[in-house]
Amino acid sequence: MAGYYDNGFLVESLCSIHPKEILIAYGPKKLLVDKYHWHSPKIGVVASYTPTAYDVEDHFDIFRGVDQIESFVQATAASLSMFLICQKHNCAPEDLKDRSVPSFISVGNVNFMSALEKGDTFVILGKITFYKFRQMVCDGRIYRCPPGLDLDHYFKDFNEERLQKYDLSPDFKLISDLYDITGREIDIEYFRAINKK
Amino acid sequence: MERQEIIDGLIEVLKTVRMIDPEKLVGVTEDTDFLADMNVPSSQMIAIVAKVEQKFDIEFEDDDIDDLGSTVKDVVDLILKVKARD
Repeated sequence: MAGYYDNGFLVESLCSIHPKEILIAYGPKKLLVDKYHWHSPKIGVVASYTPTAYDVEDHFDIFRGVDQIESFVQATAASLSMFLICQKHNCAPEDLKDRSVPSFISVGNVNFMSALEKGDTFVILGKITFYKFRQMVCDGRIYRCPPGLDLDHYFKDFNEERLQKYDLSPDFKLISDLYDITGREIDIEYFRAINKK
Repeated sequence: MERQEIIDGLIEVLKTVRMIDPEKLVGVTEDTDFLADMNVPSSQMIAIVAKVEQKFDIEFEDDDIDDLGSTVKDVVDLILKVKARD
């Protein structure tokens, strides 16, 4: 079966749900993904976020680079691996909340080419480079979107080939590229044990 | 399969990991700790375990890895357990 059932509804793609339905461990002020626009479970994802006044507070209206990385890992490793885990076990994210914790494991190279301000909608294009034992490694890029663009419509016919090439129209502005962003769903007992050491 | 045979196979796997100093692979024993003695980044442990699967033609479960310690002995024990299970 492709996808998983959540409260009786078949979730075949991240695009059919709100990020808070899969990133259930993140509270509203820490959730840095607004919407998924394209998703291929074993390949990658396209998601978007628009920084709020809260996100840029005390940082001269600029969305911090570290928050770009956090947004990227939420949209990619955290969302994509949770989807695959739910699919494997045919369960909903809620069923796993007392069993595992989404953990940020490591960051490879990250290069920032430009900045994002409050209200700048950006897209994350994330590619899975490794997935095993609930650990996922992703590479990808962040682009600032042209104002007013209907992203669902734009990415309606997106595909793996375009993802691999980062094939976007020139009015998308490259903000950052990210490598080896690694996250893992860790068993909750193990997570507690290593944090007590 | 003898434990020393497994350790030798493990060392072959570790030789392919760029982040491990080859000098750290001399004198490896069952007490050697991947994290403390070989300075393997914890993020690399999963990649190493995936290579171990290929090397020994076995398949670990997610739960096997949750419970896995960081010494050579832990990995040898797991390989033997999985081989017995399969």
